Amino acid sequence: MSDDETKAQLQRGLRIATLILAVLTVDVLGLIHLVHGLEFHDHTAAQFAAFAALTAVLATEAVLVVRRRLWRDGRRLAIAVVLGASALSYLTLPDGMTSTTVDWLFGAANWAGAVVLLDRPFRIFLAFLVTHELLALANLLVFHEVNRAALVRFTTGSVTVFALPLLMAVVAAVLGGIAAEAARAARELELARTAEAAASAAHRRRTQRFAELSGTAVPLLTGLADGSLEPSDPVVQRSCAIEAARMRRLFAETDMVGNPLLHELRHCADVADRKGVEVELDARGQWPTPPVAVRRDLTDAALTALATAGSWARVTVVGSADAVSVSVVADCAEHAVPSPATPDVRIEIFGSGGTVWMEAQWQPS
Amino acid sequence: MATELITAVIVDDHAAIAAGVRYWCEQADPPIGLLDAGDRLASVWTGQGADADVVIFDLELVPGKPDFGELRRLVDSGRRVVVYSQHADNATAIKCIDLGALAYLTKREGPEHLVPAVRAAAEGRGYTAPSLSGALAADDTPDRPRLSPRETEVLRAWFASSSKELVAAKLHITAKTVDTYIARVRVKYASVGRAAGTKSELITRALDDGVITLAELNETVR
Repeated sequence: MSDDETKAQLQRGLRIATLILAVLTVDVLGLIHLVHGLEFHDHTAAQFAAFAALTAVLATEAVLVVRRRLWRDGRRLAIAVVLGASALSYLTLPDGMTSTTVDWLFGAANWAGAVVLLDRPFRIFLAFLVTHELLALANLLVFHEVNRAALVRFTTGSVTVFALPLLMAVVAAVLGGIAAEAARAARELELARTAEAAASAAHRRRTQRFAELSGTAVPLLTGLADGSLEPSDPVVQRSCAIEAARMRRLFAETDMVGNPLLHELRHCADVADRKGVEVELDARGQWPTPPVAVRRDLTDAALTALATAGSWARVTVVGSADAVSVSVVADCAEHAVPSPATPDVRIEIFGSGGTVWMEAQWQPS
Repeated sequence: MATELITAVIVDDHAAIAAGVRYWCEQADPPIGLLDAGDRLASVWTGQGADADVVIFDLELVPGKPDFGELRRLVDSGRRVVVYSQHADNATAIKCIDLGALAYLTKREGPEHLVPAVRAAAEGRGYTAPSLSGALAADDTPDRPRLSPRETEVLRAWFASSSKELVAAKLHITAKTVDTYIARVRVKYASVGRAAGTKSELITRALDDGVITLAELNETVR
């Protein structure tokens, strides 16, 4: 699971939970209190208008949740509607009824604000809570009789009215932190796994390369080291030249190039070039890229001829959509025909008067 | 004709190339008279340059802009052209042949190909150097002529080995037969595409020499 997915899933869960709490508080508990206290209200129409306003905000949030969208330009309007509905409800409240069950909106408005501001920074939601609280307090102080009972009701009421939505916001902030932490941990784990896979692949490649060289290059090096092979011996020199070319080809195999076959042949040619052999390399046509094993079969004959050429060599590649052939003509000693490791490669060798012509052809079946 | 000195004019902006080609022409037996036009195309059309038997033409007097237009004008006015180019791609080589050049050589190909190419061109015959042979063998354009498997095999072998003796020995044929196969391919190429004086001359000569029959020629067009 990606970082964003983890975070989005947590936030969505919290958003739905908040909406359910808000609907229960406004449309169930709020409605019960409103209907029960209907006889006390002088302006029932105003109270129902406030109720409808809060319900509209919650309905909008429900639509947004279903569509998996966020509040955008409508957010300010929604907060204005919530605060407007609060003001309307408070101003039309009968005397001495503040912070009672008749004052149904006092406990409900903050939840409507919570669904709108849940994904905003904590301080913005706090500012909303304080605004609403001050609105209710101002209403009490200005338009109602301020007595001990009213103040006690306001204070005790505020504990749940203010603290519960606040608690929700704290949970949201904490969950956000946890989500970020979880995402970071997942990312680190993924990085570690990738590094581990890359390291083991590199190790496997090195082991593979070593195994490929160990059959031919290692005995040669061992022989040179323990003195059983003489560097001045032309046979040893020839073997060294072939192994050097083979290593160059091995290193070239992992290069990312457009035409690997030609790239590897150039490396083989370069070994001969360094010995002072005049090498012509020419390619014609287009061909599909053969797999590594096939390329090795194709270049093997050329590699041997190039490494042992006396003074000149001509390497050519002719390709088409269904076949590619590598030819090398050089003044080198005639070698035994190397046996290809892959079934679709055919190698022909032809010698005439000190010139050897080897052709390797790949025709994928 | 055989006793007469063959003359060629070279158009190439590189002095070293012209000097090298002059040396090869002087060393050839019999020697070839060479006129150096430098990069002045006008010298090919006027004075001694206009009388030269063969034009050795550097396709890229302006780097990156192969001058096919000038090649066409030369061929259309009946000149026998050997294109000598640093361009090595198939499309350029085949286009030169289609326009009516008698030979196409890359600058990696030395006197062993340029001298016979000039001699062949002077007689109105084509010369197919290994690089062109490779281009023809790998040609996969839709309007290419139909070649027999043996013809393709000879083209490929000539491209690979650059030695007609080796091709002959490998394919168990004579060197003359190798030449015949290559000549047939050139005749087939001359019979498709754009009409040019040098191309019809090539076909007429091939029919006269029995390199190819009229019936075989008719089958070449796809």
